[in-house]
Amino acid sequence: MKEIQKFNFSDGVAVEAKNVDLYYGKFQALKKVNMRIQEKRITAMIGPSGCGKSTLLKSLNRMNDLVEGCKVEGEIFIGGENVYEKTADLSRLRKNVGMVFQRPNPFAMSVYDNVAYGPRTFGIRKKTELDEIVERSLRGAAIWNELKDRLNKSALGLSGGQQQRLCIARSLAVEPQILLMDEPTSALDPISTGKIEELCMQLKKDVTIVIVTHNMQQALRISDQTAFFLLGEMVEIGDTQTVFSMPKEKRTEEYITGRFG
Amino acid sequence: MRGRAVTKSESKSERGAKTLFAISATFSVVAVAAIFLFIFFSSVPALKEVGIFEFLFGDVWDPNRGEYGLLPMLTATLLTTLGALLIGGSVGVFSAIFLVYFCPKRFKGVFDQVIVLLAGIPSIIYGFFGMVVLLPFLRKTFGVESGSGLLASSLILGLMILPTVASLSKNALESVPASYKEGSLALGATKEQTVFGVLFPAAKKGILSALTLGAGRAIGETMAVQLVCGNSPFFPKGLFSSIRPLTVNIVTDMGYALGTRRSALFVTGLVLLVFVLLLNVLLAWIKREGKPQAGKERILTPSAGQDGRVYCKKGGLSTALAVVCRVVAGLASATLVFLIGYILVRGLPNLSLEFLFDRPTYNRPTLRGAFVSTFYVILISLAVAVPIGVATAIFLVEYAKVGSKFVKGLRVFIDTLSGIPSIVFGLFGMVAFCGQGESLLAGALTLSLMLLPTVIRSVEESLLAVPVSMREGSLALGASKVRTIFKVVLPSAASGIFTAVILSIGRIVSESAALIFTAGSVPMLPDSPLDSGATFAVLMYRFTAERPDFAAAYATAAVLLILVAIVNLFVFVTERKLKKGKK
Ligand SMILES: Nc1ncnc2c1ncn2[C@@H]1O[C@H](COP(=O)(O)OP(=O)(O)O)[C@@H](O)[C@H]1O
Ligand SMILES: [Mg+2]
Repeated sequence: MKEIQKFNFSDGVAVEAKNVDLYYGKFQALKKVNMRIQEKRITAMIGPSGCGKSTLLKSLNRMNDLVEGCKVEGEIFIGGENVYEKTADLSRLRKNVGMVFQRPNPFAMSVYDNVAYGPRTFGIRKKTELDEIVERSLRGAAIWNELKDRLNKSALGLSGGQQQRLCIARSLAVEPQILLMDEPTSALDPISTGKIEELCMQLKKDVTIVIVTHNMQQALRISDQTAFFLLGEMVEIGDTQTVFSMPKEKRTEEYITGRFG
Repeated sequence: MRGRAVTKSESKSERGAKTLFAISATFSVVAVAAIFLFIFFSSVPALKEVGIFEFLFGDVWDPNRGEYGLLPMLTATLLTTLGALLIGGSVGVFSAIFLVYFCPKRFKGVFDQVIVLLAGIPSIIYGFFGMVVLLPFLRKTFGVESGSGLLASSLILGLMILPTVASLSKNALESVPASYKEGSLALGATKEQTVFGVLFPAAKKGILSALTLGAGRAIGETMAVQLVCGNSPFFPKGLFSSIRPLTVNIVTDMGYALGTRRSALFVTGLVLLVFVLLLNVLLAWIKREGKPQAGKERILTPSAGQDGRVYCKKGGLSTALAVVCRVVAGLASATLVFLIGYILVRGLPNLSLEFLFDRPTYNRPTLRGAFVSTFYVILISLAVAVPIGVATAIFLVEYAKVGSKFVKGLRVFIDTLSGIPSIVFGLFGMVAFCGQGESLLAGALTLSLMLLPTVIRSVEESLLAVPVSMREGSLALGASKVRTIFKVVLPSAASGIFTAVILSIGRIVSESAALIFTAGSVPMLPDSPLDSGATFAVLMYRFTAERPDFAAAYATAAVLLILVAIVNLFVFVTERKLKKGKK
């Protein structure tokens, strides 16, 4: 795994989007998006449903490549490298920019194999090494104690909250620099949600987190930076406290106050 | 920098894999083209000498006198198919209606299995059953001399297409939206009226497709008919006049025909292929033609009877039809139980360890050779069909663009391949693979082509059942597409692939028409797959038709049935596990 080069965040900027336009066929889902995401912080993306949050998230690790007819214009830099350049290495990008999905999607294999899948992808075969990675990742996802006796059981038998933390562990196992989370708690109960929020606060010591959330309290609780989206545009980005208490834009204020009643 | 180098070569292997899958996918196209070309070129000598007109419209078949009229046999094929549709088609549709709407929940699983088992019974056993049970019955009942002919053929064919029609109609009925039912019931219609007035018409398209596929099966069937048709190449004059459908014409003469006469049998095969094409066109037309029309009480298909609409409004016929459904389903089940019981009761006493396992000699055949031959044929044909089928399915599901021209074309070829009668596969295998004479290898290669469509379809289904989110999960970790397919998608689809394998084994065990002239029918012990050898089903053919020996036939039939039962049990268990896993 050491062979896969990391991105270099020397200036403290993890992600920079410049004039990003994104089209699904004729439909324009992102309009001239410009934003910067700071290293080792939690950035929340909020906005009404369908405004393009998931779309932007997926264009950061190019999961949009899977969508038929999806076209991206503009530039997205990770650690100063344009990820949409022709020579960009997809595998390296996705290894370093991990993703956690809205619905937990564990593979139909054992807990151990789920976590070991990533490292194995990058050529780690030694049992001792894998054991060590699996334990570290599960600990990192705060689920080691729950699962250490069921490592060989199928991951599909876990509860939703456990599955989601397992998926986080699976991402952590390849040591990502950035973790993209698309409404990771929207399918979970409040207790599991709490655990995952706590986990995010822990993780930001080592990892840059970008989280899409529907829940504004959640954004307020855990994020350092918040970006507000509307109809494919990024309306405002700033320090979370500021965005929520003194938004610059009227549309942001309307959205936030509308939600808070 | 090293990381980049690694992925450069990786993307090369990615492209390599994609190319490999695509090449496998074109295999079906090549197979269909090869079959048509080989059969056509082998027909050319006869076509040149006799002329296409004489073949199609000549009404005498007497190769010894240079007469090659196929018209009597063409007529026989059409009439037996029609008869089979009338009998098996209607029973199949009624059974499906019973299964979906009237079967008590407890018995649903059982009746499902009845249909599956009926589908799994080898055609040669149907033929044998017709010969030893149906013909004597017809003789007694109607006081005729032999009982064979048009009626017997239609009955046996009807029984054989019943499961095809029933299971496909069942799918069609089950896919009618529940709202239709609720809507009709809410209007105050009885359950019977709802079923026959609304739901059945709404499934019309699917049921017509089922009947068309049933017709395809009837046209292509060889081994079962040849034992009950009487086998004289004359125009059918009545229900009991001896006839010879096209397929039977091939199997009867192929063993010793030479020169023009041999070539004329390929012309017969060519005519069968044209039928297959026509049916495919019909099927495509049905699928395209008008959306299912629902909610209009008066729309009924012809198979429900011309005067259906009059009664339907009153509701009297609906109730009567519901009774018919129950009776017919009971009859189908009873026939199955009787058939199995009869064969086992007559067959098991004739089974001895010597007959099973002694070394066979030409005059004292045993089944030992069949164990070995069947094993080789299964092994080789699976080794060919499964990788190609899986690769094709992977290409279709993971790579191809949905609805692209290439995919549409590919599907046409796969459908065509699945409609080709096994006797035509036999003809093809004979000219394509038997350059060095008959061998198990040649037979297995022939069968692998036959299996391909089924393998492709069931693997495709199980791949489609793997959630997209799992693929995303793997790709998002930086895994390549190929790795995702092999490590995440295929393992999740494993039980579906396993089912495809088992189903294929069932078909291999049951097949005889495609093997007789490719693998051979001699009951000797093969030393290697390069020797000729007879599988159980082919031995059945030998014991019933080539060198009749009924004691041996009964015993072999019993063994065959037991094998088929084991195969079905495996399928049943895996599918049940699959369902449980999903819950
Ligand atoms: N695969 C797709 N194909 C076409 N349109 C899409 C696709 N995915 C999303 N969209 C459209 O793009 C817009 C943004 O979607 P999305 O990014 O999922 O919004 P959000 O996550 O903010 O709810 C929506 O209008 C949606 O309908
Ligand atoms: Mg979203």
